Amino acid sequence: MEIFLAQLINAIALGSVYALLVTGFNLLVVVGGIFPFAYSHIVVLSMYMCWFAMKMTGDNAAVGILAGVLSGTAFSFITEPVFRPLAKRGAVLGSFIVAMALSLIITEIMAQKLNMGIVISFPQTFQGKEALIQFGTATVTAGQIATIVGSIGAGLGFFYLLYRTKQGRAFRAMGQSPFSARLLGIPIVKTRIYAYLIAGLLGGISAVFLAMAIGTASSSLGDNLALKVMAVSMLAGVGNLGGGLVAALILGLSEGMVLAYLPGDWSQAIAFGMIMVVVMIRPKGLFGTMA
Amino acid sequence: MSYGPIKALRGVSIEVNEGEIVVMIGANGAGKTTLVETILGITPVEKGRIMFMGEEVTQKKTEYVVASGLCLIPEGRGILPLMTVMENLQLGAHHFKGDTSKNLELIYRCFPVLKERSKQMAGTLSGGEQQMLSVARGLMSAPNLMMLDEPSLGLAPTVMKDLFRTIGELNSTGYTILLSEQNACQALRYAHRGYVFETGEIVLSGTAEELMHNQRVQQAYLGGVV
Repeated sequence: MEIFLAQLINAIALGSVYALLVTGFNLLVVVGGIFPFAYSHIVVLSMYMCWFAMKMTGDNAAVGILAGVLSGTAFSFITEPVFRPLAKRGAVLGSFIVAMALSLIITEIMAQKLNMGIVISFPQTFQGKEALIQFGTATVTAGQIATIVGSIGAGLGFFYLLYRTKQGRAFRAMGQSPFSARLLGIPIVKTRIYAYLIAGLLGGISAVFLAMAIGTASSSLGDNLALKVMAVSMLAGVGNLGGGLVAALILGLSEGMVLAYLPGDWSQAIAFGMIMVVVMIRPKGLFGTMA
Repeated sequence: MSYGPIKALRGVSIEVNEGEIVVMIGANGAGKTTLVETILGITPVEKGRIMFMGEEVTQKKTEYVVASGLCLIPEGRGILPLMTVMENLQLGAHHFKGDTSKNLELIYRCFPVLKERSKQMAGTLSGGEQQMLSVARGLMSAPNLMMLDEPSLGLAPTVMKDLFRTIGELNSTGYTILLSEQNACQALRYAHRGYVFETGEIVLSGTAEELMHNQRVQQAYLGGVV
């Protein structure tokens, strides 16, 4: 029973980071007007930046976190001009292809140039492996708590922005009808740039929590995450922000539980399996597209 | 405010003075929508100029034009169905600097039903209510010039009458209005001046009185003698 609970906490921690990733992803879909396949790769690149920063400062966690968050924001911001002409034309498939090209470039950079392609490990202290709560033989670590609380916090902050502020309304208006948004005098290009910045910020925060939750990163993590983000997104309905959260938890939970009880890495298969089922039965996703 | 020739519109030149209601009548495809979209900076101008309150806005981006005090209430309403009535109104004030409560007061006075429904999803409103919301949204920015594109489209006759009456009331409180309408009869009743559009050109212009008594206008748009 305790083992089950421990695995459950682990799965929730994983699910909550996925939720954050999917939120950033959806923001780029809805406001950016593109299919941001390379988003996860940018996140993993930020994980590398976090790792480098800590290596250079003797495992200083604060520096690492700052590096991760800032690089996520910066990298996302840099990619905006690349996608701008595609978004303007509504070329979603085109953006997917460009994003895939970008993801391949990032993956290669990580495989060849960063840490000579060797898997990076985050310091134990950073991962927060000390047990904070104990029940019987099972423990809940500081890292897990930080991840869950942090992801929920970031998620809530984002939803506050989206539903209670002027910029958030502008985001939603653009997502629902770029033409109407334009008539209202909402600056289209500027608003898209803000979306990239915020998605990047969420990505940077996710990078930090992923470092805690997974503990390692490699060049193949980008593809791995991208698949899962796509799975969650499609499960919920691409662009559906609220549904994305629920679906992320579903994926996190299933992955976590299967990981605990079945040998081998079934996580990618699960993700793919979910995409398959959704595409065949409910192409618009469980909750429908567009929030 | 005046224009010169524009592509898909040939040699079109109109003028709207402060405090007027100017109406553009003409069939679908005559160029009225193209004109208002061009004014707003959505469609590019090939030849000619757009002057607004003494400033040239011909090549300016839509966000600049809107921020200068122009607003368009588009054909088909252009409201956001997945957002609440209140949120739609708040979006209308995106560029408005200052306290919006006065604007809301005016809106709720003209359209009390919007106050009742302020928390409802805009998509659940009836056609007439959506049109009211669209106009109200325009009012939220306290525009110097309101342009309405076919506001009566798809509305029941009584609702249409109310809408025009409201437009007339708004004008008497100081709003300058450029109206594009297929329903010439009602529109001319409230307007000061008008232009008649046919296939991208202006074929007639004059005061509302003159147009109402013009034979050609009567035959084509008023269904015989008024």
